Amino acid sequence: MPEPVIASVGASSLGRTDLPGRDLFSVALAEAFDGLPDPAELVEAMYVGNQSESYEHQIMYGTLLAEWAGLRHVPAERVEGCAAAGALALRHAVKDVRNGEHEAVLACGVEKMTSAGTSGATDALSAAFDRALEQRSGITAPSQYALLAKRYLHETDATERDLAEIAVKNHANAARNPRAQFPKEIDVATVLESAPIAPPLKLYDCAPVGDGAAVVLVTTAELAADLDCPQVRIAGTGASANNIAVAERDMTDIAGARIAAETAYEEAGIDAAAVDIAEVHDAFTVCEALLAEAAGFAPAGTGYQSYQAPAERADGWTDVQLSPSGGLKARGHPIGATGLLQALEAYEQLTGGAGDRAVEGAETALLLNEGGVADAVTVGHVLTTAEAP
Amino acid sequence: MTAGNLDATDSRTLPGFFDALADGDLLGGVCADCEQVLLPPRPACYACGSRAVDVEPQSREGRVFSYTEVHTPPPAFAADAPYTVAVVELTDGGRLLGRVAADYADVAIGDSVELTVREPTAAEREVALDYETDWPVHIFELR
Ligand SMILES: [Zn+2]
Repeated sequence: MPEPVIASVGASSLGRTDLPGRDLFSVALAEAFDGLPDPAELVEAMYVGNQSESYEHQIMYGTLLAEWAGLRHVPAERVEGCAAAGALALRHAVKDVRNGEHEAVLACGVEKMTSAGTSGATDALSAAFDRALEQRSGITAPSQYALLAKRYLHETDATERDLAEIAVKNHANAARNPRAQFPKEIDVATVLESAPIAPPLKLYDCAPVGDGAAVVLVTTAELAADLDCPQVRIAGTGASANNIAVAERDMTDIAGARIAAETAYEEAGIDAAAVDIAEVHDAFTVCEALLAEAAGFAPAGTGYQSYQAPAERADGWTDVQLSPSGGLKARGHPIGATGLLQALEAYEQLTGGAGDRAVEGAETALLLNEGGVADAVTVGHVLTTAEAP
Repeated sequence: MTAGNLDATDSRTLPGFFDALADGDLLGGVCADCEQVLLPPRPACYACGSRAVDVEPQSREGRVFSYTEVHTPPPAFAADAPYTVAVVELTDGGRLLGRVAADYADVAIGDSVELTVREPTAAEREVALDYETDWPVHIFELR
């Protein structure tokens, strides 16, 4: 079975931009193919992660972006799973290369979130919740995660200040990331004194609305070598759906994320302790705490210590560094592109392209990308430059 | 119970569930194999996969499991904000999200609440899909 690798990556600028979705994609694609043959000479299939047609009144994003890439007559499709759409697209590319069907597949993600303002984004994102009982109660993405945060603070020793520290840490990482939407440091007081959104979550606990596109070229190892590309093995992938309504789930044991991570570890032949860096779905600060536990990095109830240096964390924590990119919180969260921005960060970290935010000696990364509220759907990937075990 | 002949009078469908709720009856699915409560009722149990799901009346009383206050509402609910939302664990074991008719500051985890039902307002009917227009709205009240 051919092992898929990432051969190249690219992204648009992130945040409020004057480019529509297809043009953001063109920017990302041009970066990914800089120095390579044109896409039409390489790419055999294409998947596009995209959350919502309500931003641009545009579906058929597979067809549209294939055409804009100069790829007519390839199989191309849009993949939907709210904020997990990007990693779902990556997972489809991985499977196509693994099963020998294609040697080069493009996994893309794009979202033009700023087209209708904050209320438009709030409305578009609320479509991810159960229509019958949740949407009709007026629930929003921040308030859904606030329900998790309230419960997490109730059950553990974590405080609102700990959650604020996670935001501070991710902003500090983003300050060293030239791709970040918010490349600036903040302090704890800024978070704690920011506007209430859905208590205990405040404005600075929340990832921003923003535009963006990302492209990841998945190939066989042989093709990547022929192209002279630095390559990162995609050694494991896992995915799990959970109840659509957060009320019907365990709200502090994020089971879907645990299963997605464990499946990816098992495929890669590693355990959580082997992971050097993790890009997790910190759409809200509490997510990083919950996902550190679900991924097996932290004992139950201690994930909120993710902002601390490894030596200061509770016994049982691994040495993993979380969200070196700045995470969704500060790197940015253009919904359908987010899972691929996570892969992009891991690729740059593992191939010496992360500049002064590089985590020294990093060889293995875990990506956890979620859609809906928390683990309504989770996709995990293990990326590594280590030899196969 | 099989799901092969489901129609809109069956309380394992949304129209059937909301018809009963409009009369004040909260119906849940109860798995015959693992006893999981499913709100609303549906043909299969998510906990064990069984399709042996019975429909049974559920207590409308419960306790607040988690709660928050919405400051940045969807456009359809802008006039209501800020409002309190909670996940409630009902006495019979199911959990349900809904609005709470109380200020955020007056609610705490563990508080006793009771589910009440009202007709949709004109504004709610305005944003409802055609088939949802008459569906009642559930609200939790502090006891
Ligand atoms: Zn069951």
